[in-house]
This record gives sequence, C-alpha cells and structure tokens, in this order.
Amino acid sequence: MAEERREITLRRFDLSDLDDYMVWASDDRVTAFCRWDSYTDKEDLRRYMRETVLPHPWFRAVCLGGRPIGAVSVELGAGCDRCKGELGYALAAAHWGRGHATAAVKMAVRSVFREVEGLERVEALVDVDNKASQRVLEKAGFAREGVLRKSMVLKGRTRDLVMFSLISTDALVD
Amino acid sequence: MDQHMGVGAKEEDREEKRTVPEITLRPFTISDVDDFMTWATDDRVMRFSRRPTCTTKDECLTHMKDHIMPHPWCRAICIDDDGRPVGLVSVMPAPGADVHRASIGFDVAYDYWGRGVATAAVKKAASAVFEEWPLLERLDAVAEVNNTASQRVLEKAGFQREAVLKSYLVLRGESKDMIMYSLLSSNSLKVEEMNLLDSENNSRWMPGK
Repeated sequence: MAEERREITLRRFDLSDLDDYMVWASDDRVTAFCRWDSYTDKEDLRRYMRETVLPHPWFRAVCLGGRPIGAVSVELGAGCDRCKGELGYALAAAHWGRGHATAAVKMAVRSVFREVEGLERVEALVDVDNKASQRVLEKAGFAREGVLRKSMVLKGRTRDLVMFSLISTDALVD
Repeated sequence: MDQHMGVGAKEEDREEKRTVPEITLRPFTISDVDDFMTWATDDRVMRFSRRPTCTTKDECLTHMKDHIMPHPWCRAICIDDDGRPVGLVSVMPAPGADVHRASIGFDVAYDYWGRGVATAAVKKAASAVFEEWPLLERLDAVAEVNNTASQRVLEKAGFQREAVLKSYLVLRGESKDMIMYSLLSSNSLKVEEMNLLDSENNSRWMPGK
C-alpha cells in the first residue's frame, strides 16, 4: 500500500462523510465566527448535508490524506451579481496553524474561476476580530478592500466585516 | 438668509440653501406614470442604473406595476410648489434574516440636477427608514467609480465611503468597480439635525452642541 499522502485535496461531499463533518460542525471554536451555531444533533447535520451541501452548485470537502477535515464553498450570484461569488470555509481545529486553509482556499479559487462561466470576482467577508481568517485570505492572495460597518448579525450582535476579494485576472498570476 | 448657517458653512452650501425648494416624499400611484417617464426614459439619468432605460409608456407602466407599486419602500420625490414627482428614492431591506441592513437608490429628472434635490431626498429617506424600522442599523449604497454625481450626493447626505469593490456588479453588460457607502443609525442623528436646519430657513440660527 502506498504511504498515505498528507496533502490537501478537494472533492464533493458524500453522506458517508457525516461523522467527519460532525467533528468541526459541532466545535464552538470553529463556529465562533460563523452565522450558524454548532450542531448538537447528527441528524440535523445529515439533513443539512442532504438538502444544502450535496445539491449545492459549489461546495467541497477539504481532505487531508483523503479524509474530510473541513469544507469550502462559493455562493454564486445571479443577474447583476453573476460576476461574483462569496467564499466560505471551515476547518477542524486540530488541523489549524499548518497552512491547510490557505491551500484549500487557493485550490478552490483556481477551480471555481475555471469552472464557472462569467465569474470575475470571489469575495470573502471576515469579522474584524477574526485575525486568523484574515491571514488565510492575505496568504491566498486576496486584496483587503475595506471595512463594511455593522454588516452582519453574529450570535445576536451586529459586527463590522472586512471585505476581501480576488479578481480572476489577479488569480492567474500565481 | 445666511444667519441660520453655522460657523464654517461653505459658500456652495449657502447657495443650495437659498435655491433648493422644500421636497416631500410620498408613495407613487399609477397616475404618476407621465412624470415617471420624464426620467425613466432619459439615458442621462438611467445610465448608471441597474434597470434599463424605458423607451415606451407601456414599459414604464409595467415597471411601475411590477417593481414600484409592490416595493417595500419606494417614494416619489416631489417639489412642493406643484407636488409632481421629479424623481424616486427607494430603500430595499437586505435579503433573509438581515433586518439590520438595507440599501438605498435614487433617480432625479435631469432638469432638477444641481439643486440638492437628490441629497435632500436621501437625507429624508434615511431619517424615515431609521425611524420606521427600529432594527435597522446600516443603510448602504453603491455607486460606480465613474458616477461622481451620485458619490457627491451620498457624501453630502452624510454617508461614509468604505471601500472600492472591484468587478462587483454587472451593469450594461460588463462588470463594474463600485464604491460602497454606508450610513449607520447612530450617525443618522446628524441627519435629523441637518433636517432641522433645512426646515427652519427663516428662523434664528440654533447653535450645535
């Protein structure tokens, strides 16, 4: 048997990934800056995977050695918003601090620009206090555009968000 | 009269206070279609809009029925002397559960440009929605980088420039760089103070804090 490869790959999710998904989806450290709250019931997560994750136009498992350790997704726009997509990602806390999120974001951006016709901009909105995530995006080559005040309600409080973007023509320079 | 202006008021602001008529905001009715057509068919007004310029009265009627009449908050900008609409200001709540956020847009007939009409309408609309929607904390607007007239309106209405968003929206078939502006409910007190000054043209100057 070949040695387990310890590199990041992206693939579509399958319902059989439920237990791995639950690892980060139930962790308050991971969901601290997410709009959604930590999952406590695996059946709720199974329903979310079936109804949202599996049919989603762009939602990928972030895998290390072939097993999911996180997720990355791009919400694509329509109409006047069809040139842009919003990036989101989450990574299990045990794997933080090793550059895996940066690698996953770089791969996701390359893929989504290649796959989605008319997409020119991938943006990400990050809480002003979420320094780790801001560093991921900077290392992945995103430009910091500014702070959008009171843009999001997080756990009952309105928050300022930093807007980051990567334009398709910038992404080619890599 | 200059005596109502505070220390430091710019010459151009004094000019505007003398010439800008009192404006009111009211809901549209279908009978406003002829006045609506005045700006809705004018490329000079509509060229930065998300909506295409209308060319026929039927298109205008359809647009009024499909978008204006059912809109959550859309108002005709009227100049008091005859009450007929010279423009439109609308506020769209953010989608989903984001009740704390909404976006503003405006159009003014070309003949009424340069008189502070849009600025006055945006100030009045902002005050109104912050009062009507107590959960609203952020009112935002985007303007194309080349649309300096609209940028000026937002700045004079007290909005803060936050960011240049590259390739943000597709308008007229191409992605455009847009400037994001916002006004917070905590800032809108300032808007009310400005409204007080606007409406008391002939009263004594009231000193600020």
